[in-house]
Formats: sequence, C-alpha cells, structure tokens
Amino acid sequence: MSFIIANHLTRQYDLSDPWIVRMLTSNKRKQLTAVDDVSFSIDKGTTYALVGESGSGKSTIAKMVVGLLAPSAGAITFDGKMINDETISKADRQRLRRRIQMVFQSPYASLNPRWAVGDILKEPIRAFGLFDSRADQDKRVNELLDQVGLSARDANKYPHEFSGGQRQRISIARALSSQPDVIICDEPTSALDVSVQAQVLNLLKTLQKEFSLTYLFISHDLAVVSTMANKIGVLNEGKLVEEAVPSQLFAKPENPYTKMLIDAVPDFGKV
Amino acid sequence: MLAFWHRYKRNRSAVFGLVVIVLVVLMAATADFLYPFDPFRLAGKPLSAPGTNGFLLGSDSLGRDVAAGIVHGAKTSLLIGLIATLVAVFIGILFGALSGYYGGQLDNMLMRITEIFQTIPSFIFAILLVAILKPSIYSVVIAISVVSWPGVARLVRGEFLSLKSREFVQACHTLGMSDLRIMLREILPNCLSPIIVIGSLMVATAILIESGLSFLGLGDPNIMSWGFQIGAGRTMLRSAWWVCTFPGVAILITVLAINLVGEGLNDALNPRLRERN
Repeated sequence: MSFIIANHLTRQYDLSDPWIVRMLTSNKRKQLTAVDDVSFSIDKGTTYALVGESGSGKSTIAKMVVGLLAPSAGAITFDGKMINDETISKADRQRLRRRIQMVFQSPYASLNPRWAVGDILKEPIRAFGLFDSRADQDKRVNELLDQVGLSARDANKYPHEFSGGQRQRISIARALSSQPDVIICDEPTSALDVSVQAQVLNLLKTLQKEFSLTYLFISHDLAVVSTMANKIGVLNEGKLVEEAVPSQLFAKPENPYTKMLIDAVPDFGKV
Repeated sequence: MLAFWHRYKRNRSAVFGLVVIVLVVLMAATADFLYPFDPFRLAGKPLSAPGTNGFLLGSDSLGRDVAAGIVHGAKTSLLIGLIATLVAVFIGILFGALSGYYGGQLDNMLMRITEIFQTIPSFIFAILLVAILKPSIYSVVIAISVVSWPGVARLVRGEFLSLKSREFVQACHTLGMSDLRIMLREILPNCLSPIIVIGSLMVATAILIESGLSFLGLGDPNIMSWGFQIGAGRTMLRSAWWVCTFPGVAILITVLAINLVGEGLNDALNPRLRERN
C-alpha cells in the first residue's frame, strides 16, 4: 500500500516583469516550470530517492510534499488524505504537518542561531501539544538527543558550538521531535565532510528501522543514494525521466541522462 | 555581553559619545536638584553676561537663567527623542514585519502607504502636524514619530524578506509554529541589531526635529527646551551671544554623541563589518 502518492505534480514559477513593464514593452508573461507532471509513490517504511542536478526541481518537490509550497497542478496524497487540499481545516493541516517532517540541506542555516538546542527541540513538542508538563518535555528532549548520538548536556548549548555533523544530528532530532511518519531529507549530507556523511547516513538508517520511518531522500550524489534508497527516481529539468531500484539503475540505466549521471560518479577502482 | 562591550570599546569615539550621553542624562535627571525653580522664572537682571549677577551662563532678555534652561531642556530633549523613537520603531516594525513576511498584495499596499509618507519632506510635515494638532508635548511626539517610522519599516521589511526564506524559518513552518510566533520569536530577534542601530540614530534626528519645532515656536509653550531658548535669543545674537550659543552647543554635543554611539553600536552589533578596521 503506497503511503505517499504524488500525482501529476506540477509547479510553475511566475518570472514575469511587473505589470506596468509588460504593458510598456509588450513582453509576454514568463513562466518557469520547475516541476513538470511528476508522479511517484512511496511505500511505508521505505526510502525513495530523487536524484538530479541543481535546478532539476528536486527541492521544489520536497517543499511541496512537506507543505511549504502549493503545487500549481496535481496533488499529493499521504496515508489516503490529500495534503494540498484547500478545503481541509487548520486543525487537520496541523495534524498532517506533525506527521511529515523535513531535514534541510545546510546544518548552518537551518537552526536559529539565537535558540538553545533544547528550545529548538522543544518547539515542535509545544506547537503540536505532544507533552504538557515541563518535566516530560525535558525528558523527551534528552531522549531525542540520545537517539541522535548527542548527550543530554548539549540541550543548553547553542548551535554555533557544534560541528556541521552534530548540527545535522540536531536537525534530525528536531524532525523526530514531533514523532513523524515521514521525513523528507533535502540533501542532508551535501554540506558535510565525507567521513561525517557516512555517520549521518547510518544514523538515518538506524532511525528508519527503529521508528519504521518513510524517507523521501533528495540528493545529487548517486553514491549516497545507492546506499540509502529502495527506489530511485531520476529528475531532469523538472521531469521524472527514469524510475528503478538501485541495482537495476546502476546495472543498466535506460535513459541517456541517467547514464551521464552514473558516469559522472568518480570511480576510484578504475584509477 | 562582555564580548559585545569589548567590540564596542575598540571604537574610541563611540566610548566618548557614551560618556557624553551619560553626562547629559545625569544632568537631566538632577535638573530639579541643580535648579529647583521654574526655568521660566525671572531670576535676575536681564541680559547678564555669563558669570555675572550669579548667572553661570548668563540670562536672556526676560531675565531667565540660561543654565537652568539648558538643564531642564535636556530633560525635554531626551524624553521626546526617546519616546518619539520608540513609537516610530514600533510602527515601523509593525508595517515592515507584516509587509516582508506576507508579501504580495499586503506588501504592495503597505509599501505604497510608506512611500506616501517618505515623499513628504519630513520637517515640513512635522510642522504641519504640530500646527494642526495644537502645540503640546504630545503633538510634538506624534509629529516626530509620524515622520520617522518609514525608514524603520523599510529596513525591517528588507530583513524579514531575507530571513523568511532562510532554512531555519522554513523549518518552523514544518514544525507547526504559528505565523505570529515565527515573526516574534524566530525572525525579529535575528534582525534586532540593525533596528537598534537605526533607532539610536533616530533619537538624534528626533532631538533635532524637536529643537527645530521649538525654535519656530511650535514646541510646548509650558516646557523649557533648547530649541525654544535659541528661538528666544536669536534677535539678540550680536548683543547677547550667550543666549543662543549655549543651548546650540548643547544640541550639537548631544546629537553628535548619540550619532557616535549609534556608529559604535553598528560596529559592535554587525558581525560582517566587525573586522573592517
């Protein structure tokens, strides 16, 4: 049973000049189609990876799934409910929000520099009303820090006191804090050192097993994707050009663009 | 906090400005103690030169003590400067935050309103407002706030625009925080430094506008102020130079000091410019 279904997802950006300029120069409206009729589905507890180069629309899809952007056309269904339905109530939307979380690309930009780590982790607990008493909230924060391999003492520190890898762990803990079913990982390791990348990826895998999480994994790095994904979708200029399980994709890629991506991965065995 | 003071201390002139401001504040605070009588009171022989007839800084054409006027006027200037700035910053944050955060039509509307205020020359607008509202300390504060908030609104809007697309603010949306909470707790604290800097400089401008209004006789007639003293003494500038000169020097020094402090705050609060020197 598919947990998340994206149906003919399309997102356009309006790049037109202001109205008055268009009137004077008789330029037409300009539309950029960042995501063009993309459909895919993700099973519960699995990882679906979207790969593609910069500007291929990966992050736009991520933002639409998490609800930060509205699709221009098409729809996303999550656990049988339409996410982007205009008619759903505020309370329902909040309930859906709780179940879909996101880990952002840059661990340096995704944590508010003025908040202590404990407060950052407590905010979703507070916003979704998960634990009422302070003691329970503090206990939960310690639990979260422990789950991502940090210590309870780190709750009083500020983001700038941590390394990139540790910050990404905080980011992951924040996403876990609302007890979600789905985590969207938008290039979670691309800003990290290679050695730290592996640690963060392993952490994500462990957490997936422990909480039977569903991941939508966005990346441009095929090496990373091959270790994480159950299924890979290749995006090129907003279109989904190929979809396959990793072994098949690497063994015999069908689309020329996929071939090009695979050939671009440095292979040190051959050097 | 200590690190902030260390950065601030590096700017010598800013420290000098701070010392001057502290002195002016002390002067204002002890006004009723230094000169317990009404500064409008006839205190002795009119047009006494500084140091004569018991007048430290001389007396004006009605025998009022210039020194007493300066000390009491300090209270007026600082109070009006501070309150008018607070009101203007409040309005500016309100407009700028809504405009930058929500964007779109609301942004368009609020910014056009801001532009209407920006296109009117501020001092003439202030004169007009005080003339309509009848001169009083309240109308002066209102006039100064009304002419000085657009700058803050513009600044805050820009900060909100750039901060709202940052990842930690985006994350807040997925974490279910309300818009108001995101604005107040996530974005606003991150743009406080430029607001503090522009606010400190606005105090200086407010004092200048207040002095200008009082000079033209549009200040509160019952409250002593530096601008009023200069206005009262300007016809006798050649025969009794001290009546205008000392309040003028007081305005100059205070405004200069506030500007130096603003500059120092800018250097200390703005990490990008911190290593400029």
